[in-house]
This record gives sequence, C-alpha cells and structure tokens, in this order.
Amino acid sequence: MTPRPPHVPKTVPVTPAPAKTSTTTTASEPEWQVVTATARGRSHIAHGLSNEDAVAHAALAGSDGIVVAVADGHGHERHFRSKTGSALAVRVACEAADALLAELAADPPPAAAADTWPFLIRDGLPPAIVRSWRDEVGRDIEANPYSELELTSLEQEGDGPEIPYGATLLVAVITGGWLISAQIGDGDLVAVHPDGEFSCPVPGDDRLDGLRTTSLCQPDPLDAFRTGARDLTAEPLAALLLATDGYGNAQASDPWQPAWARDMAGLAAERGAGWFAKQLPVWAELCASGEGSGDDTTIALLLGPASARNEEGGTWTG
Amino acid sequence: MTQTTFSQMPGGGISRRPLHVLVLADCSGGMKGEKMQALNYAIADMIPHLEAWERDQEQAKVYIRAIAFATEPRWHIREPMPVTGMRWVPLDPVYKGLTNMGPAFSMAADALAPGVIERRALRPAIILITDGLATDPPGQFESGLAKLMDTPAGKSALRLSIAIGRDAQSDALTKFIDDPAVPVLVADSTEDIADRLVAASLAVSRMSETGADRGAVARRLFGLPEGMSGVFNQDTIV
Repeated sequence: MTPRPPHVPKTVPVTPAPAKTSTTTTASEPEWQVVTATARGRSHIAHGLSNEDAVAHAALAGSDGIVVAVADGHGHERHFRSKTGSALAVRVACEAADALLAELAADPPPAAAADTWPFLIRDGLPPAIVRSWRDEVGRDIEANPYSELELTSLEQEGDGPEIPYGATLLVAVITGGWLISAQIGDGDLVAVHPDGEFSCPVPGDDRLDGLRTTSLCQPDPLDAFRTGARDLTAEPLAALLLATDGYGNAQASDPWQPAWARDMAGLAAERGAGWFAKQLPVWAELCASGEGSGDDTTIALLLGPASARNEEGGTWTG
Repeated sequence: MTQTTFSQMPGGGISRRPLHVLVLADCSGGMKGEKMQALNYAIADMIPHLEAWERDQEQAKVYIRAIAFATEPRWHIREPMPVTGMRWVPLDPVYKGLTNMGPAFSMAADALAPGVIERRALRPAIILITDGLATDPPGQFESGLAKLMDTPAGKSALRLSIAIGRDAQSDALTKFIDDPAVPVLVADSTEDIADRLVAASLAVSRMSETGADRGAVARRLFGLPEGMSGVFNQDTIV
C-alpha cells in the first residue's frame, strides 16, 4: 500500500497536560486515540518537589495525523529548572513535527523518492526539536535570568546555561500510515502488536544505566537521539505506550514488557478509550505511589484503529 | 520478591524498586574470637536500622546479600533476602584463612552483572568489612576489582569500607572505594564496629532517596568538607 503523503498542516494548538492526574482523548489518523495521565511521585511529595514530567499531544491539522510527546525533567539539583525544560520539550516536539510536515507538504520529495518522506521526518525531527528547545530555553532565561547564586553554582559545576533545564523526551508521530518515533534519555516506548507481542520502535541505549540518562541539555544531544520509522499498514499495532521511567521502574516483572504487552493487546481488543481514560490516572497514581517507583509517572497510551470502540460510560470525542 | 498486583493493570503488578546491599565480610583467620563476634553483632544490629528506613521511605525495598571471604570467597547469603524480618546467621572465621579480596570482588561482580541485577534496581551498596591488609597474590586484587568496576552496577555502587583497627586502613580499601570524597570508616575497637555499620547503613539509605541532598548527607555523616560529595551525585546526565 502506498503511504498517504501528509497534507499541509495548520498551526497546531498544543496543550500540555496539567501537572496532576489528567486524561484526554482525541481521535485522528484513522481512529488512533490518545489517552494520557500523569501523577506526582511519592518521593517528590516527600521532598517537596513538584511533578517534573510533562505530556502533550496534538492533532496534525492538515494530515489527520497525531503527535504525542512525553518528557521527564531530571531530579538532580543541577537541573533546577527541569520542570520548565520538560514542558518546553513536549511543546516544541509537537510544534516541530507539525512544522516538518508543513515543510514536506510545501516542498515534497521528487516522485522517484516519494516514499522517503517518513524517513525525512524521522531524520529531521531531532535537529528541529533540539534547535527549538534551545531557543525556548534561551528565551526563558532572558525572561527569568539566573540569580547570582545560580550563576555561581553553574560556574562551579562547569555547566552551560541549558543544563538546569535538563529533560528526556519521547515523541511519536502517526501520519500517512506510518509511526515515526524519537527518544532521548530513559523512559519507555513500547509498541503492542495485535497478537500480544511487543517491539521497541527505537533502538536501545547502553548508556542508560538507571542512574544517568542522556538528555536534551547535554552538549551533543543529536548523537543521543534514537529514532525509528515503521509502516503501520504492513505492521499494524494494537497500541503504543510512551511513558516516563516512573512507570517502568514500578513494574514488578523484569523484563515487564512481554506480559504487559500481552495484557494490553487483550485490553485494547475489549475496551475502548473511555475505559482507558478512567484507568490511566489510576495506573499512574499507583506507579508513582510508595508501593511503586515513587517517582513522577506519566503515561501516554495510543490505541490503534483495531482497538475496541465500546465506551462503557467514558467520554471522548471521536 | 513481594509484589502488589492490581487486576485492572496490564502486566505483573507493581512493587518498590530493589535496593541491594551486599556485605563483603572478612572471615580470615585473624578475625577469630572477639572480632568475629563483634562483626556478627554489628551486622545483626545494622539490619533493624535498614528495616526501619525501608518502612519510613517511599521508594525502595531493601535486599541483603553477603559474601564471606578468606582465602576463597563463599556466599553466606546468595539470594537477595528482604531486610524486613530477616535474621542474621552468624559468620565463622576460616582457620588460617587469608584475606584475599580479589575473588570476593569477582563474585560480587557476577551478582551485579547486567541481566542478573534488575534494570530498575537502585544503585546498589557494597560494604566491605576487614581487619587486615589484602593478601592476594600479585594482580589478583586488581583483576577482581576491575571486574567489579566493569559492571555498570558495580561502578555506580555506593562502596563503603569499614577497617577494623587503624592498621587495616590500607590503600586497598581506598582503591575499592575509588573516591577521595568517601573516607574509610575506621573502627578503633570492636565496640566501634556496630557504630560504623550504622553510619554505613545511614549512608546507604539516605543517599538512595530521590531528591535527597546527598552532598549534605555525606558531609553530615562523614564530616566531609563542602563540595566533597562526588560519589553521591546521581540521577543526572551522562
């Protein structure tokens, strides 16, 4: 099947989820639906820290596509503006995906290379995100200059101005029958196949040892981005998970993905977005609790076209 | 391991992140008598402190393992044992046993290898307790330590060392800790061993808490000067 090229998109309104448990659903790109939830980690509550995760999603107006982004601001004291850093990350990721599609629609590849467009987006997304994120960080610093104390701290650590804003980022774009993914840092991107198998849309990274992570704020972030492009017409998915590490670190099984994907494929076949909209905040709260990872937990669940449509009292638009 | 399962959630339920505490205990011949008795008492005394911390915090579940080493190492507690409710089975010294540390490090490395230790585990703590200088043949100490430091978990571990007696405060222990910010904890007498282990357990627990000011805790526990807390800085960028 020939991939459907993206249409010219309009400006995408992006609404990051508030830093509390929340759910949202939308429908776009043949019936993909998005449900999100975030919860403040118990250990963050105990230490007076706010929820430093962020999540945003948007319909790609001209293409029936969607973009979803999840970010996790680093908890270390060096990254004292990471809450802002993660909020900026999800916003610029959604905007960058939209802008790339617009560029592609305005200046499409030649007919002989028409099927290269998903890879152009895949390869274009990280530099566009990094450029925009750094610009936004610069603007935020202009608006909220570092104090003398903060500048001294940066100098002592030898840190550049972006370091306090450090955050991870996971992005998924579904458009034209393709899934395009990008990730920097820890967290989980898990594709659930209809038969209950799972796969990872981006390659792994041995540097992520659970203690340190790659980050948008590091000097060479482009080298740390992991990306992927997958033809969903050839390889349909039941669901896709984007989650900050508070979710995976709460899972008792090791590895947790096989049983999780098996269960999720079953749930996606039986339950609709309305049911997930009720469940996801509970899952996020449990994972973020003192019985789970105790860390901020943010989940974005994308339900594929084949997922059930029975709503069981849930409210969503689609 | 204990799990909390929620039927509505996909997967195998949730649980706290494991915090593995690995005790490397010197059981050489020189430990016989009062020292071994004091060591057993001190470890048994440390356990309730870790247990209380586990109850009070919101993130970790503590598991204990122990290697008894002399001429050769052996597992005293091979499988991670939940600290809650555990009873310490006393160690015995090995008659004429030497103080070979390299093989003990190697054994610890095997237990902390990727795929053996959980990916989601908090960085482990390794507590080395000895009363003497390493007696390893040439190269054995170094190769064992190198194997430990080659594992991500071993390298990132909070490595603490308790020297029983001033004479035991050797370069070997400093190499094991591998951070000038972390002092060897010296027990001047057998009575001091329990105090030093409590300090070690406090270090293990407090440093493992998300959002803790690890530098401040290190300075408070170990009397370090301002800025000397490198090993405790974590959860940051590569």
